Amino acid sequence: MTAATQATTSTAAAAPPAVTIRDLTIVYRTPAGELPAVSGVDLDLPPGTITGLVGESGSGKSTLALSLLGAVQRPGRIAAGSIHVDGLGNLVELSAKSLQEARGGEIGYVFQAAQNSLNPLKTVGKQLLDLGRSHGVRDRTALVRSAKELLAGMGLDAARVLDSYQHELSGGMRQRVGIMFALVLNAHVLVLDEPTTALDMISQANVLKIVRAVHTERGLTTLLVTHDIGVVAEVAERIAVMYGGVVVEQGETADVLRAPKHPYARALINAIPRVSGDLSAARPLPGRPPTLGTIPTRGCVFRERCAVYAERQLPACVAEQPPLAPVADGSGRLVACHAVAVEDQQATGETA
Amino acid sequence: MRNLLVRLAGHLVRALVMIWVVATFTFFLIRLMPGDPVAAQYEKLVQQGMSPDAARNATRLTYGFLPTGSGWDQYVHYLWRLLHFDFGRSTQTLGVNASAEVLTGAKWTIGLVLAGILISFALGTVLGVIAAIRRSSGVGDALTITGSLFHAIPQFVMALVLITVFTVIWPVFPTDGNVDILVDPGFNGPYVASLVSHASLPALAYALSMFGSYLLTMRSSVISVLGDDFVLAAELRGLTRTMRLRYIARNALLPLFTIFALTIGFMFGGAVFIEKAFNYPGMGITLINSIGHRDYSTMNATFLLITAAVIVANIVADLLYTAIDPRVRRGGEAVA
Repeated sequence: MTAATQATTSTAAAAPPAVTIRDLTIVYRTPAGELPAVSGVDLDLPPGTITGLVGESGSGKSTLALSLLGAVQRPGRIAAGSIHVDGLGNLVELSAKSLQEARGGEIGYVFQAAQNSLNPLKTVGKQLLDLGRSHGVRDRTALVRSAKELLAGMGLDAARVLDSYQHELSGGMRQRVGIMFALVLNAHVLVLDEPTTALDMISQANVLKIVRAVHTERGLTTLLVTHDIGVVAEVAERIAVMYGGVVVEQGETADVLRAPKHPYARALINAIPRVSGDLSAARPLPGRPPTLGTIPTRGCVFRERCAVYAERQLPACVAEQPPLAPVADGSGRLVACHAVAVEDQQATGETA
Repeated sequence: MRNLLVRLAGHLVRALVMIWVVATFTFFLIRLMPGDPVAAQYEKLVQQGMSPDAARNATRLTYGFLPTGSGWDQYVHYLWRLLHFDFGRSTQTLGVNASAEVLTGAKWTIGLVLAGILISFALGTVLGVIAAIRRSSGVGDALTITGSLFHAIPQFVMALVLITVFTVIWPVFPTDGNVDILVDPGFNGPYVASLVSHASLPALAYALSMFGSYLLTMRSSVISVLGDDFVLAAELRGLTRTMRLRYIARNALLPLFTIFALTIGFMFGGAVFIEKAFNYPGMGITLINSIGHRDYSTMNATFLLITAAVIVANIVADLLYTAIDPRVRRGGEAVA
């Protein structure tokens, strides 16, 4: 973490958040009834920051990312809560037409690198014009010009890329084309879903560098969804950790990575092997991540795999899901854990 | 462009080889059938007192090919004439070239087949898209079941059902022939109307027996495209619904070109059944009659024409595929 990112974070903290998610619940209709993939999530994206959203497969992070564009796919639907985006209002209440305009307009979305996010039968340039037409862009020359600037800024031969089909581009190039599509209409919120998965290490580093650069240059508010904590450590000022459809810990990336408070965040970070040191120091988290059908409906979602619960058996862990609450150290960190709350109470009790 | 020419040249070479193979097979298969009208004519002339040479020449003049000689000689002679687009003379209608005989029938068959293809393609793709989009509802299930059912009904059964329903139970269409012989031929209202009403039922028989396979293929193709990442990506990029539907349709149509070419062969094959059922004077009827009369030349010409039609359809489908799919068109020229 550089000094510059620290500075942006501290100035950003004062401004109202660009994206405010409150009590968001997204359910999927299944033969077993409607099951929540995201339950009661609160999340703020301060303007000008990159927030990393991490979690295992099935933690609900991609569903949450899609909801930021009002595009939760059927059979899923937003059952409760609100998503306020600066300049757009509550996405949940927007009409289909305004949502369509907001997607790609105010909010840009970049797909997983492994996915083919382009129509295989049309050149990048033709799809750019389709984008312009869908968003009522009159000045096509200006649209092409800004696309070329973006592509050239990411180190690509813009004219050639615009004349290419998807199968003629490498993974790293596709990813940069994806970023161009997300930003060419001057979106101010950028959602990246696993932007570096399936790229080789060098392309990965390049894409992250580009994300960082366009983010700063354009003053974006960025949400980066990934299962790779290394990626978050590299580019994100803030981190939110999801488990079983719930945000369990949220705070400054440096703080959370140095001293994770929630048992899940701790286990996740302990599972990363170090570059130097003993490989066996990395401890995998026992058990397996819950799926839609196996998320506990009562009590803490992480209880069954939780080392703290195994040791202390707090009754509150069985009774209810702990709310995401600020911890007592005043760092602005939010943690959803009964054990942490109890410790905090004891600590404040002792000091009092 | 160079690419395209190379492709086309390859197609032509393969087409010629295929035509030669079919010509050879039909030549010998036909002659394996019992009964040989040319030899019979030759024998008759000899018995009438003609010298073998004169009888031979007379028969050759009548039918356009060697009545005697070894099978090999006849085969070489046949191929040689084929190279000059000489298909020999019909043995059932004396003095008429086999090619003229076949082409007279072919124009009616081609009309029917084209009408059948257009109707079934339009019906099949549109219903296929609906079946795919509404796949979790009753409408989707009903369409899929209908498609499978019609796909399973043989063409001649379809023809008989249509005849029963539309000419017997509810007589709105004429039963047989290609046109009412009482109206003046030419480009006038009653004649065209008569042509259309005569062609309706046979064309419908083609269409109904074919649209099922288009429907089923289009349905599964659309479903698979709907699951493609670029469809969601297009939605998240805020493309309008119309634009997205166009993306989906164009991608989903690709696999249909493959079955399109196969269908054309199937349709020409079906001509035999459907034209017989409707007594429609196309190539199918010509073929049946020529088999009945052991009319070697006409049979050969018909088989070759059907072969050529299927080959041409395949080439056209392949070229269209090249035009529509950049991955085939520009496969070798990836941007570095």
